Amino acid sequence: MIASRALVSRSAPLLAVAGLLGIWQIAALILNTDSFPSALEAIRAVPAILTDRGDLINILASLRRMAIGLSLAVILAIPLGLMMGRSRAVASFFNPLLMVIYPVPKAALMPVIMLWLGVGDVSKTLVIFLGVSLPIIYHSFQGARAVEEKMLWSGAAMGLSAPQRMLRIVLPAALPEILTGCRTGLVLALITMVTSEMIARQSGAGNILFNALDMAQYDTVFAMIIIIGAMGIILDAAFERLRGALVKWSEPRFDIPLSFS
Amino acid sequence: MNVLPLRPEANTESGRRHAAAMIEIDHVSQTFQTSGRQSHLAISDISLVIEDGAFVSILGPSGCGKSTLLYIVGGFVNPTEGVAKVKGRAITGPGPDRGPVFQEFALFPWKNVMGNVMYGLLQQGVKRAEAEAQSRRLIEMVGLKGFENFYPKELSGGMKQRVAIARTLAYKPAVLLMDEPFGALDAHTRTRLQNDLLNIWERDRKTVLFVTHSVDEAVFLSDKVVVMTRAPGRIKQIVEIDLPRPRRRAELLLDPRYQKYIVDIERLIDDTGIDELHP
Repeated sequence: MIASRALVSRSAPLLAVAGLLGIWQIAALILNTDSFPSALEAIRAVPAILTDRGDLINILASLRRMAIGLSLAVILAIPLGLMMGRSRAVASFFNPLLMVIYPVPKAALMPVIMLWLGVGDVSKTLVIFLGVSLPIIYHSFQGARAVEEKMLWSGAAMGLSAPQRMLRIVLPAALPEILTGCRTGLVLALITMVTSEMIARQSGAGNILFNALDMAQYDTVFAMIIIIGAMGIILDAAFERLRGALVKWSEPRFDIPLSFS
Repeated sequence: MNVLPLRPEANTESGRRHAAAMIEIDHVSQTFQTSGRQSHLAISDISLVIEDGAFVSILGPSGCGKSTLLYIVGGFVNPTEGVAKVKGRAITGPGPDRGPVFQEFALFPWKNVMGNVMYGLLQQGVKRAEAEAQSRRLIEMVGLKGFENFYPKELSGGMKQRVAIARTLAYKPAVLLMDEPFGALDAHTRTRLQNDLLNIWERDRKTVLFVTHSVDEAVFLSDKVVVMTRAPGRIKQIVEIDLPRPRRRAELLLDPRYQKYIVDIERLIDDTGIDELHP
């Protein structure tokens, strides 16, 4: 009984994918228009993209920008968020600024950034960095703020200096929350990556998609959507594996798996 | 370490300086700023000397500032007025000579039992192998042999507090500061931990400052019970507990002297006008 239930919960995501593809297939057959290829046609177009050297270079360029933008955000946003969480002065200095930036769609800044920095890697990486930073700052801030005062006191009594307490108590104690922010950031990085490539059409996964749209190659358009979606799912699942390993000491939040990991 | 010269007035204040004073609290008051720019006087003009090796409890109702007094000795909170000293030196911050044990346990959840207990030793530069050996002995002493690799979330409240006690004892503080350590535990676990704490304490007789609101806990454990008034906390009376050691609960419960201490102290507390309706 338990084994069969585990089997169901394990195969549930696959069933969901199959169901979605099924609905897509039926809808496409009923509508029967050129601009809506069936799921099978789209899936058939995937290998052509993944074996094309130019397309692969484009996709890898996207992933590289995403990795750089995300890494920069992690390196800068985590310390900032943690300091904001532990120091009222730092929080009240940065909070107004972040509150103004928060609701602005980062992709909306893309035209201005392109104007200043061109359509190349720098602009797109910067937009990804901006898009990803805020959730990581916010979650690091929340995590640091929730650290039990007595835990820090215990560390202080052992002789840990203030910077040591930050690095060796606040950081690990806030890690579950920080990694939740990073997970949101990872998916946001993918979104911002594609958006930036829609605006600055020069290279990348988003560029392949929109070039195909311009040329009315609808099966390629939908195949790219599948590829980008799969990238998101794989990255998220890999990150969840990593997160699970890093914070296995913390309480499990959900019994239902919320990723493919 | 900042060593301040002993001020002569500090000596004359209490008449004489006890040769073996471990902690001296000298006219200490603490005011907290509450919201709306109001101030709240938590403790008022407290002077107390705790001798080396003494087990002293601070007893009082919730909100009387008894924990505040312990935090001041720990160096976690600076007094608004007055001076607290440990071994004759003014307290300017936390230090490994004063080890806290909190009601909330405050274990490091990302470290297992062994990692928690060795933490202070590694911080003090003890070699890993040596720290591990010492920690293993302590874990055994608090009755958790076999749980070295368990994480705090896998332990019960009583076990967590045992780990917290071992973690603090590990770095060998001269003073143990216990802030209602058994307050969050059920009655049975509480009794067992009290017994075990006394057994551990009998071995090296560290100075202990123990905050509690339980009269029988205070009498059972202590050499001296400091009874505080409700807020602002002042010392109502200091009761010397002249009961033989090592103490056995079963013997004490039949001992009329033990019973009398409890009744006397409960009367004292009633006199302070504490009532639960208007804390």
